[in-house]
Amino acid sequence: MYWYVARRLAWAFVATFIILTITFLLLEVTPDAQAAQLQFQAAQGGGSAEAAREAYETRRGLDAPLWERYSNYMINVFTLEWGWSDTRSQPVVEAILDAYPYSLMYGIPAVLISTVVGIAIGLYSATHQYTLADYAGTFVAFFGISIPNFWFGIILLLVFAVELGWVPVLFDPNVPVFSVANAKQLVLPVFVLTTAAIASEMRYARAEALEYVNAEFVKTAKAKGADGRRILTRHILRPALVPLSTILVGDLLGLILTTSYLVEVVFGIPGLGRLSLDAILNQDTALVLGTTFIPVLIAVIGNLLQDLAYTILDPRIDYGDR
Amino acid sequence: MATESGDPERFEDVDWDELGGLAVPRRTLAFVASLVAYALLLGYDYLLVAEDQPTIPVAGWNVTAVDWLFLLTLLAIVFYGVVPLVVNRRLTVHYWHQFRKNRAAVVSLVYLLVIFVVGTVGTAFIEPPQLDTLAAYQPPVYSSVPADVPVSCAGEVVDGRCQGTWAHPFGTTGQGKDILKMVVFGMEVSMQVGLIATFITIVLATAVGTTAAYLGGYVDEVLMRYVDIQLTFPTFFLYLLLVYLFGGSLFLLILIFGLTGWGAIARLVRSEALQRSEEEFVRAAKGAGASTPYVIWRHLVPNVSNTVITAATLLIPSLILAEAALSFLGLGDPTVPSWGRVIADGRGDLSSAWWISTIPGFFLFFTILAFNFLGDALRDALDPRQEGGE
Repeated sequence: MYWYVARRLAWAFVATFIILTITFLLLEVTPDAQAAQLQFQAAQGGGSAEAAREAYETRRGLDAPLWERYSNYMINVFTLEWGWSDTRSQPVVEAILDAYPYSLMYGIPAVLISTVVGIAIGLYSATHQYTLADYAGTFVAFFGISIPNFWFGIILLLVFAVELGWVPVLFDPNVPVFSVANAKQLVLPVFVLTTAAIASEMRYARAEALEYVNAEFVKTAKAKGADGRRILTRHILRPALVPLSTILVGDLLGLILTTSYLVEVVFGIPGLGRLSLDAILNQDTALVLGTTFIPVLIAVIGNLLQDLAYTILDPRIDYGDR
Repeated sequence: MATESGDPERFEDVDWDELGGLAVPRRTLAFVASLVAYALLLGYDYLLVAEDQPTIPVAGWNVTAVDWLFLLTLLAIVFYGVVPLVVNRRLTVHYWHQFRKNRAAVVSLVYLLVIFVVGTVGTAFIEPPQLDTLAAYQPPVYSSVPADVPVSCAGEVVDGRCQGTWAHPFGTTGQGKDILKMVVFGMEVSMQVGLIATFITIVLATAVGTTAAYLGGYVDEVLMRYVDIQLTFPTFFLYLLLVYLFGGSLFLLILIFGLTGWGAIARLVRSEALQRSEEEFVRAAKGAGASTPYVIWRHLVPNVSNTVITAATLLIPSLILAEAALSFLGLGDPTVPSWGRVIADGRGDLSSAWWISTIPGFFLFFTILAFNFLGDALRDALDPRQEGGE
């Protein structure tokens, strides 16, 4: 098992390395929008477009040989020297540090609520298969998977902010973190993120729990007179948690990262998603890269933890092979 | 093919070359013939017709790159989806009986067929939505808004409220574009994105998955490691980065979706094909001297097709959603009337004109829901091994 863990760790590094290399190559082959803009300006001002491009490249260190640029890029990525954001006039890392608390503010409650509620509903559905409640649960799951999050957010804003006026339409980043006003303006983002996450969690939870509902050891426990709650928590939930815990990390991460991006745009929360979109719209390449590295990094680490969790939680699996 | 006349002739004695040798099925022949015709037309469009001239002057239809891909996708669907269903009547009836049990899926199928036909055929007959500032902010029919919201009310003004008219059943946007027309043209975009990208995905995922499983060894290792890397990169952010770098024209968007999203299905196909390649018939074919491509194409691909179809049906909605999300963020193709873009357009007018953002969203929501229902029912109908929820 230690050999497996070591190899898995090494693979995480290799994968990160390859992804960064591909990103670097992509940047190399695509025309630089900023350089093009500078050239255009120079040409309009009567100057030489060629000279403007050369000046730009010298300033950015783009005239160095490919290999040197590549190694500089790699070193910078790993030492968190992620460059300077032109549009925000601050280092990229600083901009990210400014933004991420806003993402956590609604992200953490949403993950906690959706995990607990999702697993609870999934378990209930599995133990009460083909009842009305099960069908209702399945319907909620389909609803959650199918509804476009950004549109759902708009509808909720329309109803609860514009029509009913219960929550503010615009997010105010200046209110204290732990205050009623902040909680009020975070209710809708948390709700949208929760519906997205809860749907897939309850589907997984239901499917996993179903495998154990009719297992021999559950029947034995029932025969010995264990009460329903004990059977549910000790005999069904425990084995089901093993695959669930890994699914929660791997599959939900992508979902939550994507949803949070759209949620921030809809509700105007100045978090990482908003920062990234502004960077894309303003052609701020350094900031685009920085804000893309964050989810990639989270995904690599999440996948690593997912695989490692499996080795610890489920000793039955043989790792001699892979 | 075998002799039934009671000859003492045995299987080994049959002279296969005399019977026509390696017969190419008629369906494959027809498919290849239509591919040739397709290639000729494509060459005609790109080599002989000027860029800004319509390809088919009579209809005034300038066939775009996306249209060409869409045609290819439809060809493949007809030859490898519709034709086998028509030919194998008995199996079709069996599947239909399984499928019919799920009423939500039947409704979904009808809804999707309507969307598909209106989106592909209907768009040829109606005018694209036009800018018309005078007709801006018309409310949908059977609803009303304060008369000061629209520039000039097309319907009657009753008690200071502008009534919607049948001229614009779903109302108009802030630019005076008819929302019903926008919705219809959005259907075309969604179907093109969903079907073409899924078609590319299916081809790549099936090829990679079956090859990796059948050949094993280093091929398997390299292919699956590549899939690992592709899956590590969160899909949505990969789209974002690529759209940022290469621009978001609809054609590129579809290519990005198709070329980067096949990892998960390839993994599924591989695990399914691994089991299949251990089966007797594969070993028999190998023993009889069948080549690797032949075994993969004739024995593995048909046996993993159920898995692929189910996974593909569930992939379509996520692609449609991704396109809508990117358009909503303003990163999609600005020349294409995507649902996501209409939803984004209406955001600024939520308090005065609620219908702009909401109505296209309902179509988006129901289309995604229908594909999800359909995929779920297909899984139940095609894959009897799987039981329960997932």
